[in-house]
Amino acid sequence: MIWEERPGVLGWLTTVDHKRIGLLYFFTSLFFLGAGGVEALLMRTQLAQPNNKVLSPETYNQMMTMHGVTMIFLFVIPMTTGAFGNYLLPLMLGARDMAFPRLNALSYWLFLGAGLFLYASVFMHTAPDCGWFCYTPLNTSTYDPGLNVDFYTLGLIFTGLSTTAGAINIIVTTFKLRAPGMSFNRMPLMLFALLAVSFSLVFALPPLTTNLVFLELQRKLGFQFFDVANGGDALLWQHLFWLFGHPEVYIIILPAMGIATSIIPTFSRRKMIAFPLVALAELLVAFIGFGVWAHHMFATGLPIGVLVFFAAASMMVVIPSTIQIYAWLFTVNLGKPDFRAPLLFIGGFIALFVIGGLSGIMFAAIPFDQATTDTYFVVAHFHFIIFGAAVFPILGGLYYWFPKVTGRMYHEGWAQASFWVTFVGTIVTFFPMHLVGLDGMTRRVYTYHSGYGWSTSNLIETIGAFVLAVGLLMIFANLAWSRFRGAPSGPDPFYGGTLEWTTSSPPPPYNFAVIPTVSSPYPNWEPTETAVEVGESHETPTSTVRDGLLDEVVHMPSESGWPIVLAAVVSLLFVMLLTSHIYVAAIFACLGLLIVAAWHWHEPEQQA
Amino acid sequence: MSAVPYTARSAKPNGWWGMVVFVATEVTLFATLVGSYYDLRFKTPRWPPPGVPDPKLALPLILMAALVATSIPVQLAVGFSRRAQARGAQLALLTAMAVQVAYLAVQIHLFADDLSHFRPQGSAYGSIYFTLLGVVHLHVVVGILLEAWFVVRLFGGMTRYRRVGIEATAFYWHTVNVLAVAVTLVVLSPSL
Repeated sequence: MIWEERPGVLGWLTTVDHKRIGLLYFFTSLFFLGAGGVEALLMRTQLAQPNNKVLSPETYNQMMTMHGVTMIFLFVIPMTTGAFGNYLLPLMLGARDMAFPRLNALSYWLFLGAGLFLYASVFMHTAPDCGWFCYTPLNTSTYDPGLNVDFYTLGLIFTGLSTTAGAINIIVTTFKLRAPGMSFNRMPLMLFALLAVSFSLVFALPPLTTNLVFLELQRKLGFQFFDVANGGDALLWQHLFWLFGHPEVYIIILPAMGIATSIIPTFSRRKMIAFPLVALAELLVAFIGFGVWAHHMFATGLPIGVLVFFAAASMMVVIPSTIQIYAWLFTVNLGKPDFRAPLLFIGGFIALFVIGGLSGIMFAAIPFDQATTDTYFVVAHFHFIIFGAAVFPILGGLYYWFPKVTGRMYHEGWAQASFWVTFVGTIVTFFPMHLVGLDGMTRRVYTYHSGYGWSTSNLIETIGAFVLAVGLLMIFANLAWSRFRGAPSGPDPFYGGTLEWTTSSPPPPYNFAVIPTVSSPYPNWEPTETAVEVGESHETPTSTVRDGLLDEVVHMPSESGWPIVLAAVVSLLFVMLLTSHIYVAAIFACLGLLIVAAWHWHEPEQQA
Repeated sequence: MSAVPYTARSAKPNGWWGMVVFVATEVTLFATLVGSYYDLRFKTPRWPPPGVPDPKLALPLILMAALVATSIPVQLAVGFSRRAQARGAQLALLTAMAVQVAYLAVQIHLFADDLSHFRPQGSAYGSIYFTLLGVVHLHVVVGILLEAWFVVRLFGGMTRYRRVGIEATAFYWHTVNVLAVAVTLVVLSPSL
């Protein structure tokens, strides 16, 4: 044993171990997937028949808004960057922890606080009800006087704190803690995707924060950012929102692309083809994502020259996406594919991504977009992308890394069955939405007239949603059962190429007894003879940023109770802001500063 | 297995990189604020609106120059800390802090004076004007707190951790100074 984790509940509350924090992220975001899923099922039940009365219009609006906010901010981002990123990044890099272990703990506890903050609104029947993009002027206190929108603004600023901290941690860890020899061209492709996501978060969240601060100043203090009568600009909200919102779409989809580049080589028994092109394509998707935001605003009356620019920019995303699709397909085709559950989910991902991508290209045609905007055709498109394409690799990844995390195998037969149920459920739920959308059914409306011919399609969609729910439950039942009854897997059941498969399953608290050195992007397939011996205390080596040469050995901070205490104080601060107790909020802010001081009082070198 | 030879540090430390990425988000935040300023400005026939005085030039520009000058003692503190001279670093940081606190005091006075002439609730101009300045002042406060922390900690002598921290704080200050120049020029632009 090099070092051990503190046992018991206290150990989990004070942990700085990236694997434990990853698991905390996993279970919390899984809970929010359940909440967002129940909201979706409630909406689908309401829409199963025309003029249904399952949900009142007010409740429907709240369910619809919370479904979007939950799935984006409380499920996909924390699941991909928080759970997968935290658990796998140091293991794939050959490091012993993240660059800032305590900041890592803080970002988890802030995420939990933000999630509880947002969900408190549901129990107070004042959940956000303005849709996830919450356009002005409907979001102003004139039209939405309750606390609903205040929960939305403050809640999203709150999650932004957590996500930014996490992204900074991922970037610095990727830059500095790669195993000796892992220059950038030898870094696993999945980590390029994670790096691209983190950079996107760092640059995309500030516009959202600015926007939300503007809105909250307008709501609470009567500022005039969006009020046209006083010189404000209603479109400013949309510009700032989509300047965040479109990079956000790629933040959701890129981890999925990364997971695909991990699963495909393992089950195709060969390296990814076009490795540098795929790496660049992942970074390019994130980069182009910042130049296309106005394609969400084709119907707002922007000048035609602006529309054409953004339409052309949007078409460019096709290039890096298609590079990746062909690289995945040819890798499978040139290898010896073994279609076990993880690879099946990647196959489903590629199919759904192509369908959603093709309907996406249609929106770059400005007149088509203007005709279909705010209809179910849009809902169909983005659910193929952010459910089909973004979530399927997450599900495949759950099966793929389950043996690494638990040391046990999942049940293969049930896993394959769960794939088909989920895949069929997805198509049946979302495909008919194209048709009712083209027939003119608008989004965000709690019911519809019986005479429009939408009833059959809507009923099919609702049945599909329940099939989909059964598929997801089969996956989690399989994993829960296998956690206790699965066959022991050993350290490397699939013969994966990257470093996480070179350590035991589950990995020890220090990940690697000696730090491996690397001479290939697939170090488990092409191992080196050398390794770096590090001392027995809480230490990890760091490397130079570009070439990954061994640089120095640094002390890592030990476990600490301060992150959870600070997150609790920040949560109270947000509650005080919500209830307009500005002075109490200021007291909590000062308390937070004192806690930051206490946190840093003992420096890592002074700790045991 | 043979061990790879260990060499002295040649890359920037983790803490410095953490600050660089953090500052990147801060710069983006300011960019969106400045972008919003011009978005609102280009949709308003008269900027500032009738009844609101044009911003005064002399004092804000002098203050801006004074704030930028504090980058020199902050960078000197980095040099002292690299040579493990805790006293010198403390003195340099205190010099910078003295100017920055004076800067902040005058700025708060100006802020209150502006509030007595026009209000953020009155027009989009007032809203973005006070928001931009408020955000800059908040960043100056954070910088002063960071320096104060290291002044106190350096009574216990220089450590590797504190050296990295001072280097990161210096990077933060240089960026805040650049941002303060940008924001000052933007809010003064109606009078320039």
